[in-house]
Amino acid sequence: MKNFKHFNAYSVDEAVALMGRYGERAAVIAGGTDILGKMKDSILPAYPEALINIKTIPGMSYIKEEGGMLKIGPLTLLADIAANPVIKSKYAALAQAAGRTASPHLRNMGTIAGNICQDIRCWYYRNQNNRFSCLRKKGGRCYAIKGDNRYHSIFGGSVSGGCFAVHPSDTAPALVALDAKIVTSSRTIETEKFFEVKPVKTTVLKADEIVTAIQIPEPPAGSASAFLKFALRRSIDFPIVNCAAMVTLKDGKVSAARICLNAVHVIPYRALQAEQAVMGKKIDEALAEEAGQAAVSAAKPLEHNKYMVAVARTLVKRCILACEGK
Amino acid sequence: MSKESEIQTERMIEMFDNLKADKYPLQEYRYIGQKIPRNVDGLAKASGQAEYTMDIQLPGMLFMRFVDSPYPHARIVRMDTGKAEKLPGVRHVLRYDDPGLPETENIGYFPIFQNDRPLDCVAHFEGQPMGAAVAADTEAIAEEALSLIEMEWEQRPFMLDPVAASEPGAPLTYPERYSDGNFWNRGVLDELIHGDVKKGFAEADRVIEFKVNRYGHTWICPERPCGVWRWNGDQAEVWVKNQRPFVAKRDITTWFGGIPMNKILLHMPYQGATFGGWTHVDWSFGGLYCAAVVSKRLKRPVKYILSRREDFYGSSMDEGVYLVKVGFKNDGTITAVDGTVYHASAIHPAFSPVVHFHENTRVPHLKGQIKSIWVNKGPSVGIRCEMLVPILVQTLVMDRVAAECGMDPTEVAQKNDGCQGHDMNWLNEQKRKRGFVVRDSLKECIEKGKAEFKWDELWHKPGGRKLPNGRMHGVGFTWGHEWSDSTGSGEIAIRIERSDGTATLLGIHCDNGVGAETAYCQIAAEELGMRLEDVHFNPQFDPGFHLNSPDSSCGTSANGFAVRHAARILKQRILESATSPSSPSQRGSYAPAFPNMKPEDLDIKDSRIFVRADPSRWISVADYARLMAIQGPVSNAELFGARSAWTEPLFAHAFHVQEGEYNPHSPREKFCRQAHFMEVEVDTETGEVFVTRVVNVNDVGKVINRMSCEGQQYGGSIMGVGRGKLEEMVHDPVTGVMLNGNLIDYKIPTIKDVGPIGTVLVETGLGYGPYGLVGIGEDIATVVPHLIGPAVYNAIGAWVYDFPITPGRVLKALGKI
Amino acid sequence: MSTETRTFTCPYCGESLDTQDGLKSHVFKSHKGRGLPAAEGRIKLIINKAEHTFLVEPNWTLYYLIHDKLGLTGSKQFCDRGACSSCTMIVDGRPVLSCMMLAIECDGKTVETVEGIAAEGHPLIEAYVNNHAMQCGYCTPGFVVASKALLDRNQDPSEEEIVEALSGNLCRCSTYPQHPIAVKEAAAKMKADKKAKAGV
Repeated sequence: MKNFKHFNAYSVDEAVALMGRYGERAAVIAGGTDILGKMKDSILPAYPEALINIKTIPGMSYIKEEGGMLKIGPLTLLADIAANPVIKSKYAALAQAAGRTASPHLRNMGTIAGNICQDIRCWYYRNQNNRFSCLRKKGGRCYAIKGDNRYHSIFGGSVSGGCFAVHPSDTAPALVALDAKIVTSSRTIETEKFFEVKPVKTTVLKADEIVTAIQIPEPPAGSASAFLKFALRRSIDFPIVNCAAMVTLKDGKVSAARICLNAVHVIPYRALQAEQAVMGKKIDEALAEEAGQAAVSAAKPLEHNKYMVAVARTLVKRCILACEGK
Repeated sequence: MSKESEIQTERMIEMFDNLKADKYPLQEYRYIGQKIPRNVDGLAKASGQAEYTMDIQLPGMLFMRFVDSPYPHARIVRMDTGKAEKLPGVRHVLRYDDPGLPETENIGYFPIFQNDRPLDCVAHFEGQPMGAAVAADTEAIAEEALSLIEMEWEQRPFMLDPVAASEPGAPLTYPERYSDGNFWNRGVLDELIHGDVKKGFAEADRVIEFKVNRYGHTWICPERPCGVWRWNGDQAEVWVKNQRPFVAKRDITTWFGGIPMNKILLHMPYQGATFGGWTHVDWSFGGLYCAAVVSKRLKRPVKYILSRREDFYGSSMDEGVYLVKVGFKNDGTITAVDGTVYHASAIHPAFSPVVHFHENTRVPHLKGQIKSIWVNKGPSVGIRCEMLVPILVQTLVMDRVAAECGMDPTEVAQKNDGCQGHDMNWLNEQKRKRGFVVRDSLKECIEKGKAEFKWDELWHKPGGRKLPNGRMHGVGFTWGHEWSDSTGSGEIAIRIERSDGTATLLGIHCDNGVGAETAYCQIAAEELGMRLEDVHFNPQFDPGFHLNSPDSSCGTSANGFAVRHAARILKQRILESATSPSSPSQRGSYAPAFPNMKPEDLDIKDSRIFVRADPSRWISVADYARLMAIQGPVSNAELFGARSAWTEPLFAHAFHVQEGEYNPHSPREKFCRQAHFMEVEVDTETGEVFVTRVVNVNDVGKVINRMSCEGQQYGGSIMGVGRGKLEEMVHDPVTGVMLNGNLIDYKIPTIKDVGPIGTVLVETGLGYGPYGLVGIGEDIATVVPHLIGPAVYNAIGAWVYDFPITPGRVLKALGKI
Repeated sequence: MSTETRTFTCPYCGESLDTQDGLKSHVFKSHKGRGLPAAEGRIKLIINKAEHTFLVEPNWTLYYLIHDKLGLTGSKQFCDRGACSSCTMIVDGRPVLSCMMLAIECDGKTVETVEGIAAEGHPLIEAYVNNHAMQCGYCTPGFVVASKALLDRNQDPSEEEIVEALSGNLCRCSTYPQHPIAVKEAAAKMKADKKAKAGV
């Protein structure tokens, strides 16, 4: 890697001030497992002048239940989230998602906030030395449309229709399914509204804003959640499709359902049609199948990713059944 | 004739007559065939002490990196290196048009196609290192300097698909070499015809055709290509990450007007895997040559390194399109096979798609053609191994025929077993003629494999068994012959050390991980009569003797013979020395250690020289050697009137040459077989294939190192599963740029991705190697990849003829997308 | 703590601070809007139980510092992108990927490399040798370190737990089946040694 300036921030204010000063010329480093890869491959047109280390800010790593909520510090390691007994029992989708992210050693380095803020993995975007200066780098277009798009979006491109790169996080759909909120240094946002697609950005975070907490409301009684991941390998791989769901049953019927797919669209994809399909009904194989079908009803696959539609449909079905304990 | 001459004569006979069964096996084996810990290299590797070329650090050493072409076919029009040269820490930028660089140079592997440019100005694949090499104080600075080099390119049309590139009128992909079309057969082994396939098809009950797409896969060696060059005056000191030290020296000796061989000091550190691959590419020593040039100019050592992405330089020589036609009878007997392969960018001789049919079946009519077409991707070479093409065809044909006839594929295999179109009766006659015991290797392999795998319980109709977890269960079988005993030569020496009588093997080769060093120590210990712990081998430095390298391809046979020869000669020398007057000098001699005895009265066991008739009379080799350990002080002692004995050096060297078997036109019949079984579960909703179990059965003739053989079995199976269902090099169709040149997007199996692997070793003694052995290193990784095809067919009743068999391709075969 | 006689002078008002961090805090508090002096790069590491002090560049990874600068070449670099675990080291008790960590962010940390594990005669080494849990050997140190980290936190791991702990380590020679055997053998030896010690 080329050299750069390095700062250790010792408080949120200090981090924010540094970020404000440098703007786009600096990047935040938490676990480092995403940003360092980007820098080693020089994928972006501009190389960061400075890195702002936020691991030196105290009090950013915690897991506690408080005020009817689960609160997780942004720098909490994925390994710790995956192993935490409270999360495993009451917020299972998140524990499962964190436990299936990357590989064991990366889970000892990667943070929850880093995981939801991570950049896209599109192999055009990530090609070394900015070989493809695409839409997401303020360049002209998306190279996946006419290229090899076997891992790209099956629900169309970004709002402006341009980018088809998927969001690669495993924990993001779990947070959506669990109705989590993202607390930043200046506001609190619903997880679903946290993501956006802009050049060199995957979230709504401003240049001088960082995540300061994740808050998940305690699931209502009768709730269960689950997470499933589909990838070619059983470890290391980013998801090709994943799905998280939280289902609440009352008198044996679904009283609430939150189902979120990811790695299928430019941002986590809330499967609203699937949720509607199960509301008020008793879960069985046929219903779950129907929900899966509904989840992909709006799919617009590209030339090489039709199989992802079948996989997404299947994961939604199985995730719902997993919530039911089947 | 003296015993020594007899031994020499026997050795010569062995050497020139390994077309017959080994005449000199031992009666008892103490070390050979056992489970031996990895004493030679294991501790160094587990503790981090083993040094690889990537670890070499020399004082003042510079790091060299290369420009890579961003285009699949392009010529440099203009290159401005000014900014790069000015970057602090950059010491030299070597340009392609530097007057000190020759037009072509010996920088490759195969003598007939090795002349290449050290730094080219025309790229024929995206990612090709060319144009300029930067030497800097650190790799990071060198890399930064590359981004400062301004280049202007003239892009040319490019092709990625071999079939399209073979069509008349297709743009030229490599006009410098082939100006009238992209058809690029290196002129060797491109066609095989046996019998008359028209007749064979006419005789068949049924004829079917199918087409297979095999996408490119590559070697992925953990250690990146690199090398270090240091000039010591006019002497070259070199460290290479490469498979063949003798090729390194053969090329280096021709450089710079000729560097004498005796002034090349070659280090062959531990190697972070070699599977063929880099060794075979035309440019395999290009980087080293550039390092040598710059090192000469700056008088500093230079290490050249390729990045991980640059190591995705080429692919395996089975990439391409296969058109197969097969005729067979309803009872599973195959009457004719016609196979044509459109093969992408073969850099060296490719094997006809039907060569294995010729070598190990009774199929009478065969026709096979390889059309090697250069496309604008990296060169495709043998990667564990070159037999992938014929094996793919054999596996898919055999299993397809079995499926069409509704027969157990293990039966179809035995029905068609044979050689050169002849049946097993004929093959057994050849075994007799050559002095082998008559055993049916395939039958034994299948019987043992079926028992281990529980084949009879598990095999079912295609699509016939759904599991409780909802997945479809499938089992597959394939077979072939063992070919790793083929061509090559090995030279080695053994020395008994003074002072403590330990034995040292002297030879240089590539330690690519198979555990060959331990095997050679076993053979030496066995033949010398010494304890295994007293025998050692460090193959990392060059004593001038070149073993066949790498070992997995045929090495155990050629090298095994060489070690055995040397050990036998050395043992005889020890016994002759022990029974002869010692220390003959101008002043007389001393009595023998064993007076009034002949060498045949003695033997060596447990590192002790003893009298056969009375084993209580013995002297350890250590003490015998130690008697002489006073050479230095001898002169002093002589000064004071005392006399001290010494013994002649106890040293022997030997070599072995065998002409091999990669020639289908006059083959040495292959008697050893292998058989493999695979169990899969297919998730028909997602298309995912889970390989839940593999059983390998290899008739290795004779096991030398049991754990090494098993290591090749599970290692080859897992690599095979990777190649069969995960590994694919992806290029952007529009720009020709490689999209997955990294270890996230190019997927090799993790520990979780393959189920348990059962290993069975059969020992029929039917190999041409010493003790009746045949090698094992290449076989499994080459055979297992396509076994997934028949296993998936058995699960879902549909053939997937695109490899790797990814979920999307399974869903397509199921008609779901 | 070492006695530091250096002082750090603020470039804006000349005030002297005892530490680099103190200087930075001061500048931030008192000189908002002015640039912060760059990090000094002076770090302390305890590597294999020995204390070291280094002056590092920001762009040095922990791997580069230990392998290239300190010369502990046991840890290997297969991918340099966090995808293979060949560079695994144990940092503050956790197995992590040193190629994806910046040295400058490791001040005060404890690091164990394969050399340290071998030097303390850990039973894993012998178990690896006896069970041929290596071929070319390039990925082996990464596996040894990951296995050692596992045994540190779980003295009696099941095969499933071993596989899970090693699921990020890539091996191209594919020695995978041998590793759980070697780790179990080492665990058994450690258990026996513990019993023997307790018995005495």
